[in-house]
Amino acid sequence: MTRRNVAPLAAVLLIASPVIVGVAYTILAALGLRGAGASELTVRHVAAALGGWDTWRGVGWTLATAAVATAVAAAAAFTVALRVQQSPLGRLLAVLPLAVPHVAAALAALLLLSQSGWVSRLTHAAGLTPTPADFPALVYDRFGVSLVLAFAWKEFAYLVLTAVAVLGTLDRASDEVARTLGASARQVFWRITWPQLWRGTSPAVIAAFAFLIGQYEMPALLAPSTPTALPLLIYERSVDPNLLRRGEAYVVALLALTLCAGLIAAHGIWRRRLPGVTR
Amino acid sequence: MTHATHRFTLLALAGWVLTPIVVLALRAVSLSWRYPQIMPMATASGGAFEALADPRLVAAAATSFWLALATGVLGTVLGFVTARLVTRASGRLQQLTWLGALFLVVAPPLASGVGLQVVMLSLGFGGTVLGVLLAHLVPATGYLTLFAAGILGSMQSGIEDEARTLGASRLQVWTRVLLPQLAPRFAESVVLGALISWGQLALTLLVGGGVVRTLPVELLSLVRSGNDQAGALAALVLSLPPLLGLGLLVRATRRTGAAL
Amino acid sequence: MHLFPRVGRGGLLRAAAAVVALALAGGACRENPRAASAQELAEGPWSTLVAQARGTTVIWRMWRGDPAINAYVDKWVAPRMQEQFGVEVQAVDSQGPEMVNTLVTEREARGGTAGTTSLLWINGETFAQLQQEHLLAGPWTMRLPNAALVDAASPIITRDFEQDPTGYESPWGMVQFALIYDVERTPNPPTTIPALAAWIRAHPGRFTHDQSFTGLTFLKGLMYGLGGGVERFQHGFDEARYVQGRDALFSWLQSVRPYFWREGTTYPPDVAAMHRLFANGEIDFTMSNNQNEVVTKVRQGILPPTSRAVLLDEGTIANAHYVGVPFNAPNPAGAMVLANFLLSPEAQLEKQRGEVWGDGTVLNVPALPEPWPARFADVATDAAALPYDVLAAHARPEVHPQYHTHLLDDWRRVMRADAR
Repeated sequence: MTRRNVAPLAAVLLIASPVIVGVAYTILAALGLRGAGASELTVRHVAAALGGWDTWRGVGWTLATAAVATAVAAAAAFTVALRVQQSPLGRLLAVLPLAVPHVAAALAALLLLSQSGWVSRLTHAAGLTPTPADFPALVYDRFGVSLVLAFAWKEFAYLVLTAVAVLGTLDRASDEVARTLGASARQVFWRITWPQLWRGTSPAVIAAFAFLIGQYEMPALLAPSTPTALPLLIYERSVDPNLLRRGEAYVVALLALTLCAGLIAAHGIWRRRLPGVTR
Repeated sequence: MTHATHRFTLLALAGWVLTPIVVLALRAVSLSWRYPQIMPMATASGGAFEALADPRLVAAAATSFWLALATGVLGTVLGFVTARLVTRASGRLQQLTWLGALFLVVAPPLASGVGLQVVMLSLGFGGTVLGVLLAHLVPATGYLTLFAAGILGSMQSGIEDEARTLGASRLQVWTRVLLPQLAPRFAESVVLGALISWGQLALTLLVGGGVVRTLPVELLSLVRSGNDQAGALAALVLSLPPLLGLGLLVRATRRTGAAL
Repeated sequence: MHLFPRVGRGGLLRAAAAVVALALAGGACRENPRAASAQELAEGPWSTLVAQARGTTVIWRMWRGDPAINAYVDKWVAPRMQEQFGVEVQAVDSQGPEMVNTLVTEREARGGTAGTTSLLWINGETFAQLQQEHLLAGPWTMRLPNAALVDAASPIITRDFEQDPTGYESPWGMVQFALIYDVERTPNPPTTIPALAAWIRAHPGRFTHDQSFTGLTFLKGLMYGLGGGVERFQHGFDEARYVQGRDALFSWLQSVRPYFWREGTTYPPDVAAMHRLFANGEIDFTMSNNQNEVVTKVRQGILPPTSRAVLLDEGTIANAHYVGVPFNAPNPAGAMVLANFLLSPEAQLEKQRGEVWGDGTVLNVPALPEPWPARFADVATDAAALPYDVLAAHARPEVHPQYHTHLLDDWRRVMRADAR
């Protein structure tokens, strides 16, 4: 460790200290040493949580809904950012969802997309769905359609903000050169603009993905009871009427933390291999 | 791009972004609005809006506001100081910091919050506004460190050297060159940090222990109780201040570079 | 609200060291809770305690899921406590199971020092857990002057899920489970379990229950009815009898589940979601742990005006709810004064009004001094409210909390998880 690293390292550790202590506590609680119902060192909670089929089904379901939502949000955000970067009205519209808190967005999704929601009422008025049950189940449904859309709606705004910022820093000279040399607009986009845009926004995309894994309020209002989304599983276990099972909540929490950390680390490694990227 | 496709993009965008907000607004002003009514039948009279003057909500709004402001300001100071320190450190430490900061931003609040709760309780900060502020600072500082790193990285360090060469003192470099350049970025950073605090729910609930009541906490109570009219109204109120902050941010997006 | 916590200079450093030690030390150090101050206070004269409480704040942890209850607490109880006793009442949101975690964490982090809250709204399995973890102060409830007014003959009040409150929790109210239907949509609702099954089969997709406390109370009531009556499950937890009752319940559920809302593949998260589905005509029944919720929810515009409550002839579960003082209460005196006020005839009467909350009284009304008995009798009966004698005839007590714990676990594992 060189001397110039001492001050920065101290600063970083100071800021991260609550989380470090927090993770330490979570590990102790997962091992039965802390928290309600704690008694002695045991791997019972770890075995019960990691051996449970519902845990892994929840992991898979949460990863899948978060991934689809992030993909939808990113695709929409890139498309929109490329088209509205010169339009102040468009930029303002696109970032509006940032102002709406997650609970509020989930409530809106419930009011819009449930089988008796606003969209269903419109299709009813059009004579397409005589009763609520004729409208497809988009809320509390096993594919998490409303959850994915609500996730995507929130993350879309954040990704547009990032994408517009990245597009603003791009060097347009190479576009001109390429066009002069006879490249088509499509070629210019895929060969020049896209790689730069992706490089600039990939940390934000990964951050959105990882964030959605732990988002609680939206699944609490929109997700089905089975499979049980990861944050709901953590909450459910943490208030289990059987105190002896509450330790499992910490195991699932650690699993969620590991997933997030793993995603970020994997992305960091992938990014280091990109030419010309310093961070 | 032709004029027509531009129009179409804006329309589609408006539909996607505004529909949920419009539905919330309709719900907020309607006492009863049941299937299959497309528009609410009975609109709320003054009585429903009295809920907004509820001293609990007003107090919660004040708590939210001060928390957001303090998180924005302190997070900006911490973020810029950390970023400035770290940009001078070795590459490996830099990379580790950026990854760590990203982790602070996205770590599931339900998972990291339990630990934070213990830390704050041990310090005697459990159930206090100060404890909640410290908890909000964790993700906010992570985010603002990345934001500051983006700004500092894109600022021409040449200017600093030039000024020094021309005989400016260290202090002068800061007061005459760096700070004027950074001032608008500080403002954006404060807004971003405030936004992060404004929407926090899980950390507030865990560290505040239900005692510290912010607007999102009140909103969750309303939604949990099935009172959608009051919930939608509170949701809109909760969305207004960030909207103002966003106006400021959007103007600035082009300059901020790859904040993340 | 404490804006700044009380930490002296140097305290911060010491606390930081304590945090690190706490997090890193292996082995669970389970200190005994500090001497219960509510118990100490209970020994002095009541007037001393009232004097001590003047000018203090009581932070009260409670479920805040019903605007009617919130309004009663914030707008009726709080101003009177301030006026009559100079005590500021602050209700904060926390559901029973969360309180246990918060208190355990407070004990781990702060040992014997004061916690954040002074009064808890609890019952049943939360009371069992709090006692199991030694998180309640007591005994103190016999010291309350108004405790003498409580209906000591009612088995529902004197036994909380078969547990003796033993002075650690003071009764506050009494409720009974009821199904809620819309008299316009369902003029003749089923009133027995077989009739309910037949109704569900005849109306596919129109019935479900939620996955939280209310849904579980519904299932437990069915288990009594299908498993040979509540008597079979009384006097402690019996594994064999539980298994028998559970199997009877699950086979009944298996037979009707295909006709549930969404064919039983998913269940609404809580009773608020049930009310939403019911009000919009997605389902024809919602339910509540409080027989009078139908009245308050109609008033709030959440349920349609034609909503009514119905009980099943096999009986529905009635239980009492209580308030307790945590072991680390910063203000036990104020909490006890509040608990006593909650038991006063005026507070109990107000609470029982259908337009306020509709929560049953725990007082022995006939024995109250005049004019209270007449006033209680005068509580206006709403068209949607069920008459008292019908309720009493259908009331079944709660059984040991272990039934609750096991049934929830098994329902999640078997019924919920094998949803295709």
